[in-house]
Amino acid sequence: MSLRRLQNWLTGPRLLTLGIVFALAWSLSRVDWQQPIGHTGGGGAALQVLLALFPPELSQEFLRICVVASWHTLAYAIAGMSIAVALGLPLGVLASGVLASSPDGSETRRRTLMASVRFLLAAMRSVHELVWVLLFVAAVGLSPMAAILAMAIPYAGILGRIYAEQLQDVPAEPVAALRTTGASSAHILLYGYIPMALPDLLSYTFYRLECGIRAAAIMSFVGIDGIGFQIELSLADLLFRQVWTLLIFLVALVVAVDWWSSRVRRSMAY
Amino acid sequence: MSTVRPVRTGEQVAAPEPLVTIKSAAKVYGTNQGLAPLSLAIHAGERVALVGPSGSGKTTLLRLLAGALVPDQGTRSVIINGKSPAELKPGRELASLVGIVSQRFDLVPHLPVLHNVLAGRLGHWTLARSILSLVWPMERRAAQQALARVGIADKINERPGRLSGGEQQRVAIARMMMQSPLVILADEPVASLDPARAEEVMELLVGLVSWNENDGSSQRTLIASLHTASLIRRHFTRVIGLRESRVQFDLPAGELDDAVLDELYDLGDDTDDIEPLAGLAARDG
Ligand SMILES: Nc1ncnc2c1ncn2[C@@H]1O[C@H](COP(=O)(O)OP(=O)(O)O)[C@@H](O)[C@H]1O
Ligand SMILES: [Mg+2]
Repeated sequence: MSLRRLQNWLTGPRLLTLGIVFALAWSLSRVDWQQPIGHTGGGGAALQVLLALFPPELSQEFLRICVVASWHTLAYAIAGMSIAVALGLPLGVLASGVLASSPDGSETRRRTLMASVRFLLAAMRSVHELVWVLLFVAAVGLSPMAAILAMAIPYAGILGRIYAEQLQDVPAEPVAALRTTGASSAHILLYGYIPMALPDLLSYTFYRLECGIRAAAIMSFVGIDGIGFQIELSLADLLFRQVWTLLIFLVALVVAVDWWSSRVRRSMAY
Repeated sequence: MSTVRPVRTGEQVAAPEPLVTIKSAAKVYGTNQGLAPLSLAIHAGERVALVGPSGSGKTTLLRLLAGALVPDQGTRSVIINGKSPAELKPGRELASLVGIVSQRFDLVPHLPVLHNVLAGRLGHWTLARSILSLVWPMERRAAQQALARVGIADKINERPGRLSGGEQQRVAIARMMMQSPLVILADEPVASLDPARAEEVMELLVGLVSWNENDGSSQRTLIASLHTASLIRRHFTRVIGLRESRVQFDLPAGELDDAVLDELYDLGDDTDDIEPLAGLAARDG
């Protein structure tokens, strides 16, 4: 391959890919492969943790704690997701540019708006919910609101970005047909973009709700009641049977959301 | 070359102002010539068929007329009833001026037929009314009547994806009825239909032109692209042949014989022999 051909081949995206591959290879080469993976005597401890599953803690008293903790986790996740959707949907619509795509609209104004909203969304999601929750706990103390807001902000950033892409991927012909009925961009959003993107929007929102449940569980480690907080308490006392019960509740929550989401999606099939 | 052909009604002397005036409108897509500069005048009540092989510029011309594309020479090179569709803001005025039934795919598959038909009213509705209508359909009776007119009243709650191609085309026509514009455009409305279905859809479109919710009088104009000589002779008053984005002939629909059409479509075999078409254009002038 001549130098010229090589230059043409090395476009921006390819350079980036090469860079990432090299970084990965370098980091793998830095790992000390001689060290054992577990700590010494880890085998016995692992066995002890595993055996605690048979059976997990099933006393009525503890199950009640689990139900309350699951309920709190679910409530934080749903409250956080609701705020995230309420913020993410309008921001996603703005970031997608579909509101301002009439043929006479100013292209520069549209691009500036899209770019600034995209930047805002990126800023919101670039800070992890665990960092947000520490910030909020520092600011407002150990209140459920801290967990809910901590989840809502990065999740709105993620949802907004994906919503924007899903709206842009809607087939163009029905949208163009609506435009020729004299409908404004806001009308077309309601009668074209949103209905056509709705299955994707919902499906992604449900997936994020699952992630939100895991996040809410983890966030409660800071001391707000929830599955994570209970796991922390049980771990501190080395009560692995209780940890297993709590994990089973967490899995059940996620599975239930998955079942709910597939029910909703099936009812929407057209 | 004069292409103006007023509809004669008794002993009318002065030709009325044309409803649609195209003054050397052209469209270039990047390096592709979509439509070479073209001038046309079309009068109220005319039913104009556009014929020509694929890529001859029919869709481009119709989209320019619908205001969905801006002509390269500026918005004023397409005028309908004194206004330029590409200049009009979305809303009632544009909705009542011109509407288009496209070739395919132009229904929203996720909304029931009822809402697809009501979408024809969006240009007339406020945003609040449109939002409310998604939950509590407005003007449901008018939509029912339009669907009954196109013969699919029973499909009002179906999803468009469950309908046949012909039924989907009827939904699009019912939507056009709700929009009720002065100039009705149709891009290959019968292209994917069998001859019987094509005849029915053509009758509906022509019926739309002579349909008025109030008094049944006709002042609407139809401009449609299609390829079937018999349908053109039966349903249209005028036929315009396009080839390589230029007008090759402009005839009363009755004078269209199959030979003229065959020549228009078959020229690809010997491209330097364009004499017959020049002859056709002259015959028209
Ligand atoms: N969006 C587009 N981008 C580039 N070229 C196009 C586009 N639309 C149409 N064209 C070109 O313009 C010419 C006319 O196309 P069109 O108006 O679709 O013709 P028709 O409807 O008669 O088949 C063709 O050569 C076509 O390739
Ligand atoms: Mg076409």
